[in-house]
Amino acid sequence: MVTVDKLEEMRLEPEVPELDLSWLNLDTEWGVSAEPGRKGLTLQQINKSLYGDIPATSEDSSARPRGAAAPEGATPRMTPWVLGDATETFSDSAALLYDEAVSRQWSSATDIPWDTLDELPEDIERAMAQLCTSLTEVEFIAGDVPGKWLPRIAADHFESGLFLMSQVMDEARHTDVFRKRALANGGGLLLQGGGGGLRQILEAEDFTQMSSMLHILGEGFVQSLFRLGELIAHNEAEKRIFRLAAQDESRHVAYGVTHLKYTLENDPDKAEEVHWTLDMFEDTLVDPDQANPGLAGALVYLLGDGDVDEGWRLFWHVRRKQVLEYLHRLDVAGLGGRLETGRLHPALSGALDEN
Amino acid sequence: MPDSDVVAAAKKRLEESGLPSDWLDAPVHWGVKAKEQATPENGGLRFEYLNVDVYGEVPEVWQNNTEIPRGAIPDTRTEQMGYSIFNKAEVWSDLCAGLYEDAIADRWNSSADIPWDTLEPIGSDLERAVCQIATLMSEYGWTKAQTTGRWLQEISYGYIEVKLFLGTVVFDGARLYEVWRKRALANGGGLGRGGRNWKFLPLTQSYTFSEFCVASIMHDSMLLALLRHGEQLAQTEAERSIYELCQKDIERHLAYFVDHMRYLMLKEPVRREEIHRYMNKAEWYLAKDGDDTLYSALAVVMGDGREGAEEAMVDVAELRREQVETYLGYLRQCHLGDREDRLNEELRKWAGIAPEEEVEKIPV
Repeated sequence: MVTVDKLEEMRLEPEVPELDLSWLNLDTEWGVSAEPGRKGLTLQQINKSLYGDIPATSEDSSARPRGAAAPEGATPRMTPWVLGDATETFSDSAALLYDEAVSRQWSSATDIPWDTLDELPEDIERAMAQLCTSLTEVEFIAGDVPGKWLPRIAADHFESGLFLMSQVMDEARHTDVFRKRALANGGGLLLQGGGGGLRQILEAEDFTQMSSMLHILGEGFVQSLFRLGELIAHNEAEKRIFRLAAQDESRHVAYGVTHLKYTLENDPDKAEEVHWTLDMFEDTLVDPDQANPGLAGALVYLLGDGDVDEGWRLFWHVRRKQVLEYLHRLDVAGLGGRLETGRLHPALSGALDEN
Repeated sequence: MPDSDVVAAAKKRLEESGLPSDWLDAPVHWGVKAKEQATPENGGLRFEYLNVDVYGEVPEVWQNNTEIPRGAIPDTRTEQMGYSIFNKAEVWSDLCAGLYEDAIADRWNSSADIPWDTLEPIGSDLERAVCQIATLMSEYGWTKAQTTGRWLQEISYGYIEVKLFLGTVVFDGARLYEVWRKRALANGGGLGRGGRNWKFLPLTQSYTFSEFCVASIMHDSMLLALLRHGEQLAQTEAERSIYELCQKDIERHLAYFVDHMRYLMLKEPVRREEIHRYMNKAEWYLAKDGDDTLYSALAVVMGDGREGAEEAMVDVAELRREQVETYLGYLRQCHLGDREDRLNEELRKWAGIAPEEEVEKIPV
């Protein structure tokens, strides 16, 4: 072993890098500047001039920021393939939604009033623990999915990439907060949910198909449920969890809707493919064999506060709202008509008849 | 104590309505009350406080390939979800849960937390140099987020703390990307020239998480050494804030990567040579990338313009030496102190370390 002293004696002057000033004379756009506005300096404010030009297609698999000059010399392919066509990933709202995500981050450790969790009757505590077991499971996959797609997003379409990165963070927090709730008040984690369509979202090999399932139908249903969190919650801590999580889900749903809208406006032929995907995913969601055995029971029980009949009544109220909001989102995205054409799964259209 | 009468009555009501009721009397670990530790002095209900009873048992090998929460009761009908990492040693660090909560507590917003109004005209050479640095920083942020994100689908819920923390790394990567893009576009300069990206291949190509980790240690430690010069490099208060905030994020990432590698070296010392091969690769790509625009831009900033750049290259060389030293320092922390003997020859020159054959001549 060579001693440290000896090595110190052998220290040389560090090699001086070669000075290359060719980048001082680039033909990139000069003079673009941005002033911070009411919300500071947002992505929207810097998306100006050529830096705001979103290419319809990109063949650049590198990390080069949009608008930067190409490097000199050979460059490697960073990833086997990127989704170079903007219709595959882009959303006009992605930058705005990312900015909003950054400004609305919250902490499950400190922003939830955990001290308001009072002792609950065992049946209610178990029901809440079961609901949270199912939710931490669902949110876990909801974080894996955008992670899977990140390497395939072209840097030229960075707005969508940034949004998905913020979604990864949001889903981590949701996975975390529902696990916290399950373990905070004596209940513990209960039964696993049995899949319930999560695998279909994960295995999708088309971004728009994935987004239709995850953002529009899956998270849409979850958001509708969370917005009715007042009906489920038994204390201020739970109300706050549902309220904050619903806020996050709203962004995810908005991304899915605006992405689909962008895609259909620029590639109308994609509509049938998305319909087909939704046919399949709706079928999975209502398939009794796929259903999460604990989730429905726990939800009904919580909605009725132990009164199962009242819980059922409210469950159908929630389901009706979920379906109506789902159909509205599809309308906004330009994929209306599922109800009118009889394409909506009967178990979902049937929910609209319930009182 | 569980109240069996209440549960029995609830089960009966559910069954009469045709609803599943198994969840009501599942053999749950009743009575875990993490809320009791959630005081303001303790930082609220931090994830570390959940790790009690069976819920805190992180197995050496996780057997389940579904999304089942650790500690929940499995449903054997669930499809496998395609995870590939089931070995604790491959990803674990005891620091994860705490670092995850720290990341959230330290969150910042590039729109509102940077005093953008302190930006002022600084002369075209300096502005171009700052923008060149910003362009390359953005590239790394993008790469960091993309390559970290890709590992999420590989890691099972058994090691949930790791995944939560990696989620914050992805988000930090996004911010690293966009805060520097904002800097480049906020003050008249615009983006500079993209890097060659060869140096990032060990991140994008990694086959194992360990390989990804050591490549991350190399890139992050070198970035950290640069960020620590923020006071010297920043032209305005806005840039000073950017350097400081990014530094804090990268320190957190390194804390995880280093602690994880330390854990791996302790648990699986047989993998030492394999890990050295990954470092060989990462260093080789970095050295061969041959993209000097970063160091030239730093020289223009340190030299206060192109005229002073030549002279400032000596300071830049010193900064580059510090980068290699920082990298080696972190490797020493994870029981990879023998790396100095095997460091890539180009990086030895950067650090002013004598060539390997010269060192070998020293009598032991």
